[in-house]
Amino acid sequence: MTTMATPTQSAPDANVPVYNPKSESVGAKRAKSVAFHAAALILTAIVLYPGLWMVASAFKPNSEIGGANTSLWSNNFSFDNFVTAMEGIGGVSTMQFFTNSLILAIGAVVGTILSASVSAYAFARINFPGRGIFFGMMIATLLLPFHVVIIPQYIIFQQLGLVDTYIPLLIGKFLAADAFFVFLMVQFMRGLPAELDEAARIDGAGHARIFGSIMLPLMKPALISTSIFSFIWSWNDFLGPLLYLNTPEKYPLPLALRLFVDQTQSSDYGAMIAMSVLALLPVLIFFLIFQRYIVEGVSTQGLKG
Amino acid sequence: MINRRHFLTTVAVGTASAGVLAACGNGASSSGETGSAENPVTINYTWWGNDDRAERTRKAIALFESKNPDIKVNGNFTDFAGYWQKRATEAAGGGLPDVMQWDLSYLRDYGQRNQLLDLSTVNINTDAFEKSLLPSGQIRGKTYGIPTSTNAFAVYYDPAKLASLGIAEPTGKWTYKEYNDFLTEVGTKSNGALFGGTDYTGVWWMFNIWLRQNNIEAFTEDGKLGFSKDDLKKWWNFTAELRGTPAIASEERVTQLAPKSAFGSNVTATEVTWDNFMAGYLADSGAKELKLVPVPSDDPDNLGLFLKPSMLMVASAKTKYKDAAARFIDFMVNDPEVGQIFKTSRGVPASKTQRDGTTFEGTDKLVVDYEKSIEQYLKDAPEPPIVGFGTLEASFKRISSDLNYGKLDINAATDAWFKEAEDLIKQNA
Repeated sequence: MTTMATPTQSAPDANVPVYNPKSESVGAKRAKSVAFHAAALILTAIVLYPGLWMVASAFKPNSEIGGANTSLWSNNFSFDNFVTAMEGIGGVSTMQFFTNSLILAIGAVVGTILSASVSAYAFARINFPGRGIFFGMMIATLLLPFHVVIIPQYIIFQQLGLVDTYIPLLIGKFLAADAFFVFLMVQFMRGLPAELDEAARIDGAGHARIFGSIMLPLMKPALISTSIFSFIWSWNDFLGPLLYLNTPEKYPLPLALRLFVDQTQSSDYGAMIAMSVLALLPVLIFFLIFQRYIVEGVSTQGLKG
Repeated sequence: MINRRHFLTTVAVGTASAGVLAACGNGASSSGETGSAENPVTINYTWWGNDDRAERTRKAIALFESKNPDIKVNGNFTDFAGYWQKRATEAAGGGLPDVMQWDLSYLRDYGQRNQLLDLSTVNINTDAFEKSLLPSGQIRGKTYGIPTSTNAFAVYYDPAKLASLGIAEPTGKWTYKEYNDFLTEVGTKSNGALFGGTDYTGVWWMFNIWLRQNNIEAFTEDGKLGFSKDDLKKWWNFTAELRGTPAIASEERVTQLAPKSAFGSNVTATEVTWDNFMAGYLADSGAKELKLVPVPSDDPDNLGLFLKPSMLMVASAKTKYKDAAARFIDFMVNDPEVGQIFKTSRGVPASKTQRDGTTFEGTDKLVVDYEKSIEQYLKDAPEPPIVGFGTLEASFKRISSDLNYGKLDINAATDAWFKEAEDLIKQNA
């Protein structure tokens, strides 16, 4: 590894003071380019290995997974693990787990978009008394570790009889409790020129009109990155569903995945990995479609034509 | 537009009234509400385990409901690690399920905090249980857990591997020296292709059994350590000469194999652990057959062995349906048909009624036969482990693996473990 990486790293350094593209021959350029790409490919392979291992293991029999077995290849590739994984667990079908995960993830996206954008508008554009304090308090909740609030939250929902429903998992999203997203949108809105809303106000628009017709369309990148993050976070959330859901019929995928591994009995790693692969697909697809907006949404703070 | 102040007031009033309503709801609890066939009560039962256990438990619940039309059982399950996170949160929130599958290492913790129902106050038949077994579910005279099933400690070996090396199968009547020689023989004859075993001195329960063989208690009545530093040093010295040789697999190798065990990965010829790992080892290793023999002992009349509840049934102290909970527990531990459903997947059934009503075949039979073969050596099960025992067991494993790596010598390892143990005991005192 090091022998491959050294030339590509040291070569530019040596050339920097006298760098002149015209003086280099085409051959040297090409060699450099090949070395760079080879090094990049090797690094990529190392980084991707765990992912490839997962995909390969999904097709391997249980006895060839884990242990000393680090090879990606197997002579016994088959779809058996997927068949087992799709059979479901304890009478609950795997599609049910997928549906539950989707309900939770879509609920989270819708709730976050609706509530965080409205709250962000208030913080960014309306000068109400105590705005600074409320904004500070909201930021403070970002610093509060989730584990501190688990038990008080659980007690509240338990006393209200809402345990074993999706309400504890979703209500926070609809009430803009995810301070991170509110903050993201506030920052984004602050970057939008105030002249736009002033012009709208002169034309007789109220807050609702300004928010709906001016702000929302301009905030598209921020809304998209919020959707992506809240989708992925909700899709991967384990602790929330673990605490609040009791009935296996309501479990989302992350809980179901763990049921394949039982230290006290035999563990079906093959089926678990096959199901992990399936569980990753929606996130991967979602990410591939929207990935170019992520960077845009986080980094662009200004007006986009 | 929503008026901001009006909205805030509404929210505040709503929250306050919800609190009041919830407080009112608590007043209604009385001891042991009962149901009828027309109007059954519903109890919640939760367990940890995999798909296989979920299927079996569903069958058992269906059977119970058909025999007890006045009770409905709502079954839930999660994996083992998540199970305890969930229980901890529920216990803090006062919402533990009515009946729960339980693990011995958490019994004292929840029992002492009055989260569990004293099962001697309700009607559960324990006549068919080994008398030596019941104390493991009791703390200070209160019965918090009823064992569903038992395991015993054993040495596993793979007869096919031994045969291929031309080594005679062990009889289970061996001293520690003979066991060490056996491990060395496997390592030498296989030229290092197969290790004899893993470092057994890193296994807490093996140490505990050795203490019992020498008539030393691991923990005293009042929850202190019952053994001395010298005892621990002596114990860790047992494999001092084997570490780094082909007799035992190095800790490095064992870590690489995780989450599979060295034995399950066909890297070692023997393993010391609980007899209920049989099915898992068979599945992991793909071996045709595995056998069990008793652990080594320098005193042939005292093997230090005991039956440990592999899991227990407990009820929440706050359950509204004590009677229904008790009937369900009684059914799960005693009914022969339940034994027929679970076989040995929970361990060997603890109740004789259930055990005798179950037919065991194949691997199930091996485990049951092993427990029968050691019957004459069995002594009283230890009391439920002290609070924080899980941490102690983990640090025992960690420190002995440091010993195995050679990062610590025996004196330093002993001091390190004693310090951790004494701190922990002080904290929980």
